[in-house]
Amino acid sequence: MGEEGGGSVTLLCLTASSGVPLFCRSMGAPSKHQLPFSVIGSLNGVHMFGANLDVLLTAACTANSHVVWRVFHNSITLIVLSSEEGASDFALGRLLDNAFSAMVLILGLEELVNVRNIERLKKDLRVSGGIGECLEAFAGAAESRFGCLVAGGRLALATEPWWQLAPQELLLLSWLVGSLPPHAARDYPIYLPHGSPTVPHRLLTCQLLPGLEACLICGPRPALHTVETELVPRFWKPLLEPLQACVNPQPHSLPPGTTLPPGVLAFLLIHREQRSSQSSVQPPGSGGEGLSPKHRARALRHFYALVAARYFPWEGSPAPPQEPFQAGFPHRARHCYVVSATHKAYAIHAPQHQLFLLLAPHVPTFALRPLAARALQRLTGDAAC
Amino acid sequence: MFSVGRYSIPRPVTRNLEDLDSVQSILLHSDLEPEWLDSVQKNGELFYLELSEGEEETLLQDSSSEVPAVNHVRFRENEAEVIQEGSRKERKYEPRLKKITKILKKKSLLPKHSGKKGTGGSDGHPSGPTSILKHQSTQKVGVIVQQRYKDVCVYVNPKRLPNDGAGEKLKLLEALVGIVHQSSWSSRRAEKQGEQDRSNKGINEEKLVVHGLVPCSSAIKTGQILIGDALVAVNDVDVNAENIERVLSCIPGPMQVKLTFETSVFEHEGTSQQRYKQAQSAMNNLVRLLWGEDNMDLQLAIQGMPHIVMYLTLKLDSETSKDEQEILYQYPISEASQKLKSVRGIFLTLCDMLENVTGAHIISSSLFLCGKLVQVVYCKESDKLLVIGLPAESVPLSQLRNMITDVVRTLKFMYGSLDSAFCQVENVSRLDHFFNLFFQRAIQPARLHSNASPSAQHYDSCSALFLDNLPGVRWLTLAQEIKSEDYYDMRRLYMILGSCLFYKGYLIGNHLPNEDLIDIALYSRHYCLLPLAAEQRIGQLVIWREVFPHHHLQPSDASGVTGYREPEARYFLLIVGLRHFMLCVLLETGGCTSKAIGNPGPDCVYVDQVKATILQLEGIDSSIEERLESPAIPCLSCADWFLPASRDKLESFTTPPILSKLQNTSKTATSPTSKRRHFTDSSLRTRKPSPSRSSGGSDNGSEGPEEGGGLNLLATVDQVRKHERKESQGFGGSEGSGSLFKVTKKKHTLPNPFHLGNLKKNLSEKDTELYNAVKLTSGPENTLFHYISLETMQGIFITPTHKEVQQLSGSIHPQLIKNFHRCCLSIRSIFQQAVMKEKKKNADSGSNSDSRKASSDLNLVREHGVLFECSPDNWTDQKKPPPTMTYWVVGLSFGVSAAPAIFHRMYEAYAIGR
Repeated sequence: MGEEGGGSVTLLCLTASSGVPLFCRSMGAPSKHQLPFSVIGSLNGVHMFGANLDVLLTAACTANSHVVWRVFHNSITLIVLSSEEGASDFALGRLLDNAFSAMVLILGLEELVNVRNIERLKKDLRVSGGIGECLEAFAGAAESRFGCLVAGGRLALATEPWWQLAPQELLLLSWLVGSLPPHAARDYPIYLPHGSPTVPHRLLTCQLLPGLEACLICGPRPALHTVETELVPRFWKPLLEPLQACVNPQPHSLPPGTTLPPGVLAFLLIHREQRSSQSSVQPPGSGGEGLSPKHRARALRHFYALVAARYFPWEGSPAPPQEPFQAGFPHRARHCYVVSATHKAYAIHAPQHQLFLLLAPHVPTFALRPLAARALQRLTGDAAC
Repeated sequence: MFSVGRYSIPRPVTRNLEDLDSVQSILLHSDLEPEWLDSVQKNGELFYLELSEGEEETLLQDSSSEVPAVNHVRFRENEAEVIQEGSRKERKYEPRLKKITKILKKKSLLPKHSGKKGTGGSDGHPSGPTSILKHQSTQKVGVIVQQRYKDVCVYVNPKRLPNDGAGEKLKLLEALVGIVHQSSWSSRRAEKQGEQDRSNKGINEEKLVVHGLVPCSSAIKTGQILIGDALVAVNDVDVNAENIERVLSCIPGPMQVKLTFETSVFEHEGTSQQRYKQAQSAMNNLVRLLWGEDNMDLQLAIQGMPHIVMYLTLKLDSETSKDEQEILYQYPISEASQKLKSVRGIFLTLCDMLENVTGAHIISSSLFLCGKLVQVVYCKESDKLLVIGLPAESVPLSQLRNMITDVVRTLKFMYGSLDSAFCQVENVSRLDHFFNLFFQRAIQPARLHSNASPSAQHYDSCSALFLDNLPGVRWLTLAQEIKSEDYYDMRRLYMILGSCLFYKGYLIGNHLPNEDLIDIALYSRHYCLLPLAAEQRIGQLVIWREVFPHHHLQPSDASGVTGYREPEARYFLLIVGLRHFMLCVLLETGGCTSKAIGNPGPDCVYVDQVKATILQLEGIDSSIEERLESPAIPCLSCADWFLPASRDKLESFTTPPILSKLQNTSKTATSPTSKRRHFTDSSLRTRKPSPSRSSGGSDNGSEGPEEGGGLNLLATVDQVRKHERKESQGFGGSEGSGSLFKVTKKKHTLPNPFHLGNLKKNLSEKDTELYNAVKLTSGPENTLFHYISLETMQGIFITPTHKEVQQLSGSIHPQLIKNFHRCCLSIRSIFQQAVMKEKKKNADSGSNSDSRKASSDLNLVREHGVLFECSPDNWTDQKKPPPTMTYWVVGLSFGVSAAPAIFHRMYEAYAIGR
């Protein structure tokens, strides 16, 4: 998803104390962007040099790329070097945050904080690299997809407790499920980065249909075998039919019958309390006009990063050490729009939702606000917006 | 482009020559040599600043506690203190005293004054007053530390004097002012004489000690004159027992007279000056900074802030492993900066490494130190690196990037290149001065502004950050009634490229190409000249220096098109300030005039000519003032009016049109249609600029990019001008008093030097359209809170004047303005990104891969708006939720696609009710 920006993203992981590289993942233009070891060394060296003098280097940027440094728990240094267009400190900061949490998810915090055996850690981290790549792809639209009954990488259904996991955990879990090699069933030890970073839990997944998996987080009790052979048939067999419909490729995650106002090219709706989101780059009625879905996704992501970094209050994962830009505003931003050559975009910050819309350029600017209000109403089924 | 500027200079207007001569003769023949002449440095540069009498006094009085004797004498002799830049080399600031100009003498109240000067000379001090002062300062310092001076203003009315007993001695002092002085009290006389001997005074000049105060007199009413004080000066003229009657008899009519007393009472003096201090300290700060005095107060305030500027070299001589040899220049040397200095390795490494990895220069980086986020910006040239670091809480990153660009541009303008600026030893103290000003402006802009009202100060401080970096100057929309070329008839030692005129920091006339104007504006901004002229009456300001206008010296592509080549020449900048006026002239030597050899100093003839021009312009300052005072036509509203909490205050406002409008708003605000109002507005506004864009486009097609750019510029300028004219007419219609103003304006817009024949027709068409689109917002109420319109091609921006903003006071409104400027920062950074993208796209338009084009198009933002919500701060009513008001801040960017250079933006904030 990030490739068409023409840039590349490189994620480096090193131990903070000794600077030993743990892994290096890059995407985008691979031939050019295998960073030589000397560069990795100096990227880390610069940061360490500053740290020794009580100066913490956090970010740097050149005309075409951004670099962000972050140290987690004084033990792991993550460095990301991105030459994607529209990369911002905001988006990269979230990426690093998610990357570290992904490592915690799989290895546990203990392991990462007290690094005893670097070689073993290196080996273990190889697994989490898979998530890393997935993360990078979603860097801009962080927080966007959650799941328990995961259909095609999206969450279709979840129990109440599941929703109470931290948003980041939800996100990472669904990415994890999506990124593991396909199996009929798995039993996977995980740590919850926020809930229980040191005590492992079991993540059980059972494939119900191709592309549809049921997930469970549980303690030591039900064995995978029990779940697979007893529980799944008992509960899910009768529902196979509707589930089948659910798996059918749908370009949008809207309940059938929902229509959006004309001109909406893409949308992202975030339920602020529920910590879930819906989005689509091909909502019903948008047709093939204007930008291709790929570009729509990019534009929407870019707009989201812009608005979230500058105007709307911080949501979700812990705020970065940088002073957010919006702290400087004495008044609160509620709506925001952008008119550019190829599209228009509108964002609403409502008490319970945030809605980001991408609209066709022919929609008149003065109609954006009522149109966005109507879209929010239809998407939430709430007349109070 | 530049050729337009050059050829548009009209020939001298001969009808004014007589006026010119008369003014000039005053200037030329009054004093034998100009007072700034001694300040000219070896390399020909001059920075001479002298405040007008009033300002000088308060300033000196304020500082009198530190060096009383010097100030006292200078003050009495009516002298101005001058600290020249050259003396800073020794980092020792020896005050130099200069004769006051005739202009100031003319303004001085008492005719005796000039005569007195003569007697001063005949007192046996052939070297003039300067030597007296020097003697005194050396002798008196440390001796009479306890002496203080205070000014007391009293009202006197000679017409109310009783006519009897005119012959009695010292009558006037008693009758007019109310001070009793008994000359026969000789008990203190001997002692006094001894004192006066020391101070080189005439022996028979008795000190005027206050022995008593007349009941109900003006003196006693002030409550500040104490028995025992000694009167030393009346309106800055020295007085003693001998001449006091003569001096007082010269008072022609009722007026305020300033009496200066010598007093030894400390406590009282402290309180009386307290008020003065508060009002004056800010401006004093600025002036002192400019004079290059060490101001510990200011320095201390920013000491805790980590900030630094360094000029580093990337090429290290490994042979000579001297410590810190890579630092070519750094400022300041304080503890917080020390830390930033110690990590210069980071800057150097990052710069080197990131360039290798990404193939682009480093722009910025962020550091955490001392619990503060510090942003560091870079500018790399060949193998040198300029680094500026400032805390993010003072300056957001996007702003800092603009600031370093401006610094680099100004330094290049002043010194030709960064290398020549930083690598020459004699420049070090000048750069210290430059960056001292720079950091003071960046970190505590409020302290350099001393507006009387807090609201204006607030406006200044919150807007300073944003406005300071706009590539333009604040333009006061006046008609072209000023012909500053009047003085062009002179023997060409230098050729005048053009000039621009500022009044109180507003640009009112310009005959310079855009680039040069911006260079000069940046220079004046870095030296705080504009706020200086805005708030104080400058006695005299003369700046002369060689400059390197980037626009003339760079072999631009444009010159290739026209076949015209810039002559190899040297350029000089002359700035002359007088009162609130400041006239900047760019001179060229070489080329078609004689070549300059060495480091020529300023030529008196030019300085005087420029001064004469300003004097000639005196008349118009009243009309400019009137314009400044008058309400703007894009009528501004105050945010507080829209909240019910402050509605009861409305009665106090006396602007009926706004009031009625307001009521209108509050009624309609509740209706559902109000929601749509905003966007109808913006559609109207986007329609408005379209004529200029389209005409620019058509011109482009027919005449090639460069020409088209020029024409389009004219079109936009005219558009703006027309726009403003319409506004002023509207104003004239609504208020009778403004009608005169309207007429003069209309008359003067016609001989507009920017008119070109082929454009005229288009313009008249445009006129009509513009006339229909005066309002920046639409709907029955025209609710506009604030606006800024920037025209980068012309290098100007228009925004409400301080007066206008001052009139709109309230609790929410200042917040709103702060919010507006903050948002503008964000909007502008987005637009700047768009422009950069655009440029990049134009650069590699040859490689037209579709996907690439589409993806870069995503960021070409033309319009950007944010809706804000606010509610009153202290909402006490528990039952009801606080009322909220919402308003938009909208930025529009015009003409991005027509040509990259033409880039006109407009930021507006306006409101809708909820």
